[in-house]
Amino acid sequence: MNAAPPDRSGWVRWAPWVLLALILVFPFLFPSRYLLRTMVNIFFFAALGCAWNIIGGYAGQLSLGHAAFLAMGAYPTALLLLGYQVPPWLGFLPGVGIAVLLAFLLGHLVFGLRGPYLALSTLAFGEIVRILLLHFRDQTGGSLGVTIPFKGTDAWKLQFASEQPYYFICLGLLGFCLYVTSRVHGSRMGYYLQAIKENQDAAENLGIDLARNKVTALMISAGLTAVLGGFYVAYFYYIDPDSVCGTDLSIKILLVAIIGGVGTVWGPIIGSCILIPLTEVSNYLFGSGRAGASLIIYAVILVVVVLFSPKGLISLLPGGARSYRSE
Amino acid sequence: MDVAIVLQAVVNGLMMGGVYALIAVGLTLIFGVMNVVNFAHGEFVMLGMVLTYLLHTFAGMDPAVSLVLVIPFMLGVGVLIQKGLISRVIGQPDEAQILLTLGLSVLLINVALLFLGPDYRSVKTSYKLSVFAAGPVLFSVPRLLAFVVAMAFSGILWLFLTRTDLGKGLRAVAEKPEVATLMGINPRKMHALAFGIGISLAAGAGSILTPFFYTFPAVGGMFVLTAFVVVVLGGMGNIPGAILGALAIGVTESLTSQFLALDLAMLGVFIIFVLVLVFKPSGILGKGKVY
Repeated sequence: MNAAPPDRSGWVRWAPWVLLALILVFPFLFPSRYLLRTMVNIFFFAALGCAWNIIGGYAGQLSLGHAAFLAMGAYPTALLLLGYQVPPWLGFLPGVGIAVLLAFLLGHLVFGLRGPYLALSTLAFGEIVRILLLHFRDQTGGSLGVTIPFKGTDAWKLQFASEQPYYFICLGLLGFCLYVTSRVHGSRMGYYLQAIKENQDAAENLGIDLARNKVTALMISAGLTAVLGGFYVAYFYYIDPDSVCGTDLSIKILLVAIIGGVGTVWGPIIGSCILIPLTEVSNYLFGSGRAGASLIIYAVILVVVVLFSPKGLISLLPGGARSYRSE
Repeated sequence: MDVAIVLQAVVNGLMMGGVYALIAVGLTLIFGVMNVVNFAHGEFVMLGMVLTYLLHTFAGMDPAVSLVLVIPFMLGVGVLIQKGLISRVIGQPDEAQILLTLGLSVLLINVALLFLGPDYRSVKTSYKLSVFAAGPVLFSVPRLLAFVVAMAFSGILWLFLTRTDLGKGLRAVAEKPEVATLMGINPRKMHALAFGIGISLAAGAGSILTPFFYTFPAVGGMFVLTAFVVVVLGGMGNIPGAILGALAIGVTESLTSQFLALDLAMLGVFIIFVLVLVFKPSGILGKGKVY
């Protein structure tokens, strides 16, 4: 089953291709390290938002503990790299397996819950993982975290002195997340998830297996998030329980999706394109030491979006919400 | 295992549980009356702490005395927040209120961070380190004071809800909003009152915490999850349930940190939480509608 081709005309048809071409040549036109880092951050959070969107947006199952899945991907990658010299592009696999398995178990445990109960239990899940990471300090380094030493450019270990390789890796990951999301979007399961989001009881009466669809969506979402956790290690060289498993990160992930537009393929990209540059601007204006300023802006945007544009900013674009949502 | 140590851990747990109770009754009242889960609840504890800290630093006011100012002030703040923000998402999908209160939480933490910085501040009272012994058990004076005040306020709330017309109005709205409206009760007013009372109790808990707990912008996060656990344990909207749940959680936390590991104290609490959510989401004492 495919979504009916959206009605696009004029510039709307060409804009994505022009944009893609611009993005591909961007690192060569603007080799500034700072700009490229900002772009990588935009891709990274857009990808995380996409992954979250599968369960949080399409299925409407608000997860407040997604950072835990990032940590599932990040910790094994980092520990394997540090302890056994396993390169990140291989070392991320066990973490993805763990995340998917955990999503399977968590899903069966909590998806009988709805609304605030579900949100609370996912919040608690994230905290449990964070506390365990802090507690088993012999294995995880506890609150000191794990630092990956940089020993010069080494493509095998995905260590690069320049930003460009990371730019393309992260762009590729974003592309992959978008591909998976759009496959889900147009699939039978995508329709089921949206039906579940609209009205669980009605969906169940129509014969949709609630548990199976929700758990599958969570497993896909968790797996993608863990893959991004592997990239986090390769790119940032440092992880600790607060930075990869904190509630702040979980909130930032869902913010990207919600501000852009929940349950849409492109929403998280819009959200990320707004949030990340805003963070940079506010860091520039107020100094990054006072991290408070950028989060104040996030919070205000979130409140405004919830009150005035609950379908996200994508719904304000010409034909936005309509053309990307299957009705 | 030494009986005195167990006893001491239980007493410490009960003292802290009393403060959790005051935070949790506010949360459960808001849920019961408005059907809103207030994710920003911990931040109102933080605001209470900050106000108390400021009153102490600049006016030399004792935390227990500052309650007289903090509680009415926060009552007003709560009414304004309810009328300006929360009332707009009542009756909308759950997501809207979760995200709104979550946004409010992030906002309050970071505004506090902007003005106060991330430093840990403490309120130094003359009785900060006072202790007295009752048999083998030691009582810390500020903790005991907090426990007594918290229990007193929880009791006052209970009397208010069961003995006054206004309190009965709140319960009526929680029980059957449509019928309450027919009886001439304005649910919007009751919502504003519930939110105001709920967050002013949280702030009051913040005030009495200051003599023995550091004040900093993110401190609310240390209480909000515990308060959720307590509320779920006692049954959402169930006030006696919240008080009992809080004492139980206080003791669980204290025993875990005493006998298992300090940094696992919260783990025991969260595991109980998820198990209760999954297997008995109506709470151990059953779902009450604010009684």
